[in-house]
Amino acid sequence: MATRTCSPRLAPAPPRGVLRSLLLTLPIAAWSLLMFFHPGAHTDPKSLVAATITAFFMTLLFFMMVRTGKTYRWRRWFFVTLGVLFPVGFIYNLVLARGTMGIPIEEMIAGRTPFCFLAIPLLIVPAALTKTIVFPGSITASGHAIAIMVGLWLALTLVLGKGWCAYACFFGGIEEGMAAVAPRARIRKLDPRWRYGPWAVLLAMVLLSFALFEPAYCMWLCPFKAVTEYVSARNAVGLLQNAIFIVIFAALVIVLPFLTKKRTQCSFFCPFGAFQSLFNKISIFEIKIDQTRCKSCNVCQTACPTMALSKESIARGETLMSCMKCGACVDSCPQQAAVWHIKGTELAWKPERARLMFLYAAWAMAVMFGGSIIAEGLVTILHFLT
Amino acid sequence: MTLRAKLGYTAAALTIVAAFLTPFLLMETFAKSFAALGLHVDEVYSGGPTLRTVQNGAYSIVIHKPVFPHMFQSEKPFVQLDWTPVSALPRHVSDVVDVDGDGQPDIRVVFDVPTDPKTPLRVNVESLNSRYKAMQNAGREQFSRLIVRVDNAVLVRVPLANR
Repeated sequence: MATRTCSPRLAPAPPRGVLRSLLLTLPIAAWSLLMFFHPGAHTDPKSLVAATITAFFMTLLFFMMVRTGKTYRWRRWFFVTLGVLFPVGFIYNLVLARGTMGIPIEEMIAGRTPFCFLAIPLLIVPAALTKTIVFPGSITASGHAIAIMVGLWLALTLVLGKGWCAYACFFGGIEEGMAAVAPRARIRKLDPRWRYGPWAVLLAMVLLSFALFEPAYCMWLCPFKAVTEYVSARNAVGLLQNAIFIVIFAALVIVLPFLTKKRTQCSFFCPFGAFQSLFNKISIFEIKIDQTRCKSCNVCQTACPTMALSKESIARGETLMSCMKCGACVDSCPQQAAVWHIKGTELAWKPERARLMFLYAAWAMAVMFGGSIIAEGLVTILHFLT
Repeated sequence: MTLRAKLGYTAAALTIVAAFLTPFLLMETFAKSFAALGLHVDEVYSGGPTLRTVQNGAYSIVIHKPVFPHMFQSEKPFVQLDWTPVSALPRHVSDVVDVDGDGQPDIRVVFDVPTDPKTPLRVNVESLNSRYKAMQNAGREQFSRLIVRVDNAVLVRVPLANR
């Protein structure tokens, strides 16, 4: 399809009134209070201050999303904050408990390795065939138990589908932040075949995890080991593993997002993201392109941080299955052709209603999961400041 | 509004309800269901189930079932023995252990127990049965041949000769 010049931008919808926006924000404000100030939640003043700041921050962002009708930029504030503060709280707690960011072998044997959702797709085949979890954690004991993370992941996936990658993942915010700080993209042409990267990594890692009976991605490729916990470098193999983590992190999470203004690790590499795309099929919320309005200017395609739109998919009036419902395309479309949609309903019939319904669900999850991580990171910072 | 649209809105409303129920009901239900699947952590990490316990004065030696790695797993077969509790162990431990329970000694395990729990442990294992491999001044280089302190026990993993 030939790219046509965009027609003049349609006038954006006027912002909602303050009072109406406040009323629509009330459920999230109440939810934030419930999540952060339930009885027994705070034993020290730092925790109370952190919870207050987080509850206000999350409620304010939701208010701005409701008032302005825009999603992406406000969500990004939350997401980048989450990505930055997660390692702060996590590393501090690790060092406090172990004295190091490295995973000592005795902690693995004791089943005290914190379980990360990225390992979930790697565990499925060995668990299905041999009833064995190939991860040095604990199924039920400890605060980072595998069952708790799997339960949380299942619940969030039911609600968000692939939206996990935009409202729950505590790693993606780092690269989204790096993409945001670049004034403009220095690399504009990206081969669309890179989109298959996550699927290739997923397939390779699932097979390798079964063959080696270890979480191969966590052991060899996870870039976020560089900012969470790494393999204790007991020998040359350990040193090599850590070198790989750092190189992939630097390339895909720091340098390439800055150069491309895309979430390159998510778009080209993350096997969990590919796995999570499968669950977009069960999600009731989606983003559609209204063909009666679309002028094929491809602004949405440029705006999408994960290359989840192609010319072909736009022509079909839909996103690719890797769409994480961040709202970048909807916010950027000059024709308001990219719209939030509830499956089964008529296209472009009250898309704002669909957006709000999705946001209530997504933001409730974001407050509960991401909000608690942000608060923990703030407690750590307050601990160092006072 | 068509039936499909009504069903769509109903599902969207239920999704919101599910979101707000997650911390109170949904997450725990899913976690409990997962835990009830009867899965277990790979024995290369956990050390395998306990076979029997041998009392040796104030402390006991817990003998685990031998662990055999799967397919291309990089570790070798091993058997894990736990000396517990650490507080009851002498400064110098030298025990002859009948691992397989046939009444014959299989290995002699020798290690020191430093007072500082952070001091790395080293172990010597003398093989009295060809099924068990000897270890000289071993630390914690591999899951299948190591000595580490975990909570209130000293764990020794002795590699097995190939079956």
